[in-house]
Amino acid sequence: MPMTESLPFSILNAAQPLPPIRDGLAWFHLAKSEKTLRLPLFISKVAAGFPSPADDYVEKTLDLEELLIQKPAATFFVRAQGDSMLGAGIHPNDILVVDRSREPMPDKIVICAVNGELTVKRLIVADGQWRLKAENPAYPDIPLTEDLETVFWGTVTNVIHPV
Amino acid sequence: MMEQARIGLVDCNNFYVSCERVFRPDLIGKPVMLLSNNDGCVVARSQEVKDLGIKMGVPLFQVQQLVNQHQIQLFSSNYTLYADMSARVMSLLEEFTPRMEVYSIDEAFLDLTAVYPCYQDPIAYGQRIRKAIARQTGIPVCVGMGPTKTLAKLANFAAKKWKQTGGVLDLSDPIRREKLMKIVPVDEVWGIGRQTTKRLNQLGIQTVWDLAIQPPKTIQAQFNVVVARTVMELNGTASLDLEDVAADKQQIVCSRSFSRKLTELEELSRALSEYCTRAAEKLRRQQSVTCCVSVFIRTNPFAVQEPQYQRAATVKLDAATQDTRVIIRVALSSLKAIYKPGFGYQKCGVQLSAIRPAVSPSQFDLFDLSCEGMPPDNTALMQTLDTINRRFPKAVTIASSGFDKSWKPKAERISQRYTTDWRELVVVR
Repeated sequence: MPMTESLPFSILNAAQPLPPIRDGLAWFHLAKSEKTLRLPLFISKVAAGFPSPADDYVEKTLDLEELLIQKPAATFFVRAQGDSMLGAGIHPNDILVVDRSREPMPDKIVICAVNGELTVKRLIVADGQWRLKAENPAYPDIPLTEDLETVFWGTVTNVIHPV
Repeated sequence: MMEQARIGLVDCNNFYVSCERVFRPDLIGKPVMLLSNNDGCVVARSQEVKDLGIKMGVPLFQVQQLVNQHQIQLFSSNYTLYADMSARVMSLLEEFTPRMEVYSIDEAFLDLTAVYPCYQDPIAYGQRIRKAIARQTGIPVCVGMGPTKTLAKLANFAAKKWKQTGGVLDLSDPIRREKLMKIVPVDEVWGIGRQTTKRLNQLGIQTVWDLAIQPPKTIQAQFNVVVARTVMELNGTASLDLEDVAADKQQIVCSRSFSRKLTELEELSRALSEYCTRAAEKLRRQQSVTCCVSVFIRTNPFAVQEPQYQRAATVKLDAATQDTRVIIRVALSSLKAIYKPGFGYQKCGVQLSAIRPAVSPSQFDLFDLSCEGMPPDNTALMQTLDTINRRFPKAVTIASSGFDKSWKPKAERISQRYTTDWRELVVVR
């Protein structure tokens, strides 16, 4: 099973299965009731070839959701497009984890609806004015003036970037 | 003296439309309308559409001109999205009360009687709920409060209607209650339907207040116990309890309109088999059995120039069942009986009724010949089927459902499943 590839895509329920056949193996998604991927953490190395006596020492399972999501009901995933946030490690097509329950704070990377369009930028205060700052010198800041209709949507907490 | 109860009703504003707008903020303030399964009728409207006078349930073609004129944005219903957003709202509401009843996809009753911050300042608490839901899910809600469910409902209605309330209204105070009731027509009361309204109006009962001051006994004599209870509830006497768990369904209906007209019995059978499969799954999920299977088919009533036909048939089973195969077998034989060639069918469906809890495996009537040739009611097999299908959706189906699904409802304007499919996330720039 191509575990590394499937890993970030199993932390939430995916209603639609991805392409079903891989390496001749049927490749399925977990049902909704089992939405988290759990991997056991062993405290000793596991040898191949015979059952490991270390199995008795299983401590806990690692849960990606636990790592990435604090408030499931308020957490949304969005897909980044364009290169305006390259400097913050957000590449085109990356998946962003967005927590809507967090207050908008300066210097955080946020999602805002600006004139009806969702955008990801860093929220900053400069010269007493709120701005949305791109992490790419090719893009100018967006000063949040009165004539811009800006609605705060959520705070980005993590980037899921395939390598 | 016992502390007066405080029930909150949290109701999402234009829920389906609001779900779409969370991911399409450009549609905020614009007219948005949602269409039924087959993109045929209006099932949800934004305030802007309501203001244009477009009614619920009208066929799209009847209002097409208004749609063009006002550039109303149309969407097919995206129930995957709405169900997910609803689950989020409900899960957040649980933080505000130890006891709640999810009443529908977009509303829930909250028992706030013993919640200290609400006791101190109900309006502030209501605002807290409102802000939390709006901020964390993007869905606007209104909060109504009162000593009974009926008053909480009424409060919510008023909170939605009058902007000055700020979306939160508490009707615990009898003086405020009276003031409001005198200006609200009686048909806005929870549970008072069109027929009852007509009769109440004939008796000179026009406003909610007119109804509230009636003696419950007189009302019970003239109407029924339900209306009498409503009168008591309007006066602050709780007679409807908060149900912690939604009651099991007494009827299960699965029906859809087709994307194109079906004429052949075989095609209809396939569609009906699939609805039966789904209905049986629902039945087993609530651990019930059914004794009664009804089937209906009909042509499109709006295609007035075409020949019209509609029929239904009901079969009462001698032995209760939860077996998909039995239900399909019964439904298909009913369909055969009511089917007539030469019509373009637009809709068919199955309804299971006489539903009761499944107890120990039910026994067939030894002397009943109608069961002959039926597969035995195999609970274990059905459980296996459900387990497999839960894990791998639609992996195992009954062969009569067929494989050609071209009759499936169209949903040409459906939005993305933003929250349940990795390939359909909203894009941010």
